[in-house]
Amino acid sequence: MISISNVCKWYGDFQVLCECTTKVEKGEVVVVCGPSGSGKSTLIKCVNGLEPFQKGEIQVENVSVGNRRTKLSLLRARVGMVFQHFELFPHLSVIQNLTIAQTRVLKRTGREATDKALKLLEMVGLQDHAQKHPAQLSGGQQQRVAIARALAMDPIAMLFDEPTSALDPEMIKEVLDVMVRLAHEGITMMVVTHEMGFARQVANRVIFMDHGKIVEDRPTIDFFKTPGTERAQQFLSKILAH
Amino acid sequence: MYQFDWSSIPGALPYLAQGMLLTLQITCTAVAVGVVFGTLIALARLSPNALLSNLAALYVNGFRSVPLVMVLLWFYILVPGLIQALFHHPPLDIRLLSAFIAFSLFEASYYAEIIRAGIQSVSHGQVSAGLALGMSRRETMRLIILPQAFRRMVPLLLTQAIILFQDTSLVYVIGLAEFFGVAYRTGNRDGTLVELLLFAGAVYFVICFTASTIVRQLQKRICV
Repeated sequence: MISISNVCKWYGDFQVLCECTTKVEKGEVVVVCGPSGSGKSTLIKCVNGLEPFQKGEIQVENVSVGNRRTKLSLLRARVGMVFQHFELFPHLSVIQNLTIAQTRVLKRTGREATDKALKLLEMVGLQDHAQKHPAQLSGGQQQRVAIARALAMDPIAMLFDEPTSALDPEMIKEVLDVMVRLAHEGITMMVVTHEMGFARQVANRVIFMDHGKIVEDRPTIDFFKTPGTERAQQFLSKILAH
Repeated sequence: MYQFDWSSIPGALPYLAQGMLLTLQITCTAVAVGVVFGTLIALARLSPNALLSNLAALYVNGFRSVPLVMVLLWFYILVPGLIQALFHHPPLDIRLLSAFIAFSLFEASYYAEIIRAGIQSVSHGQVSAGLALGMSRRETMRLIILPQAFRRMVPLLLTQAIILFQDTSLVYVIGLAEFFGVAYRTGNRDGTLVELLLFAGAVYFVICFTASTIVRQLQKRICV
C-alpha cells in the first residue's frame, strides 16, 4: 500500500531524513515513534507530498509521490491526514468542514456529502454538534471532527501526525478510542505518536526513528519486549517511566 | 474681532451635496478596485514565481514611495497627452477618469500590503489541511485562506477606506468638483473661505469619526 524506499530530505545543509525505507501493507497499523526532531512528522508528511523530498521514492498504491507528473491533489484526496493542531477550518461549521472537500474534490452532491458527514459525525459521537463552529468545541471534540473529515473522503489509508500531542490528558482517550476503532475496522494507518499504550494495543509494527534514520522497524511485541537498540531502550524507559 | 459670516453656506448646500456624491463615488470605486486588484497583487507577491513576486513588490513599493498628489497630477497630465500623441485625438477632459484610475491604482498598493499581511496571518497548517483533503492550491486559497484572512482584515480595510475618503480632497488640484473643491471655491467666490473650510472640516470630522467608531465596535465583535 505505502512503500517508502531510501528517502532522504535536507533543509539546506541539515539532513532531516536519511535513507528511510519501510512499508505499510493494506490493513496494517504502523506506529512511528522517536524523540522530537527525529524526523517522524516529516516522514509522514512526505507520504502525501505535503513535504517534498530530494532523494528516494515513495509509492502509495503504485503511484509515485515524488514524480513531478503525479497529480498530488488526486493522491491526497485518497489519503486522509489528521494533524497535531486539528486544522479544522474555523470559518466553516462542523458539517461544512466535513462536506467542503467531498463536494469540491469528489464532486459529490450536497445531499450525498451531508449524509456521509452526518454518519461519520455519529460514529465519532458528535452528531449533535454538526451546526457548531470548531471554536465552540473542546480540543478532543475538534480532533474527532478532524478524523471524521478525513474519513469522509473514503481514504485508502490514514496518516496521523501526533494526533493527541496538543490535547489535555483527559481528552486523549476519546481520540484514541476512535483511532482504536478504526484500527479494528481494518483501515490502513500510519500513526506518529508517543502513545505507547495505543501502539501496544493496535499496532502491527513499531518504527523507531532517531536523527532522521529509521533505527528500528519491528513487530510490536518484539519492539516492546526487547528493543534492539540502546537508543530505543532509552527512549522507552523514559516515556514508560511514569 | 473676526465676524463669522455663515450666510453663503445654505445656498451652497446643493453644490456641496453634489461634491460629496463625487467624493463618495471616488472613494467607493477606489475601495472596490483597490481590494480586488490589491488581492491579485498580494497573491502575486506571495507567489513562488520570482518574476511575479518581484513585479508585485515593485508595484507596491513604487506607489507607496510617491505622494498621492503626484500620482494624480501625473495621470492628469500624462494620460491625455499620451492619448493625444498616440491617436492625434483632440484633447479630452479625462480629469474624472484619471482621478478614478489614480486613486484605484494607488489604493491597490496599500490594500495589497494589508491583504498580504492578512493572508500570512492564517497559519500554514490551514494550507496543509486544504491540500491534504485533495484541494488544489487555488481552491485552498479561495475557500480556506482568503475567507479567514478577509475576516481578520475588515477593520484594517475600513480604516484604510476612511483615510482614502479624506485623501479624495486632493483631487481639488486637478480642479474636480468634489466636496472639498466645492467648499474651497464657494468660499473663495463669496469671500467666506474660513467659514466654508470650517464647515467642510466639520463634515469630514463627523463622517470619519462616526465611521471609525463603527469600525472599533466591529473590531471588538470580531475579536470575541
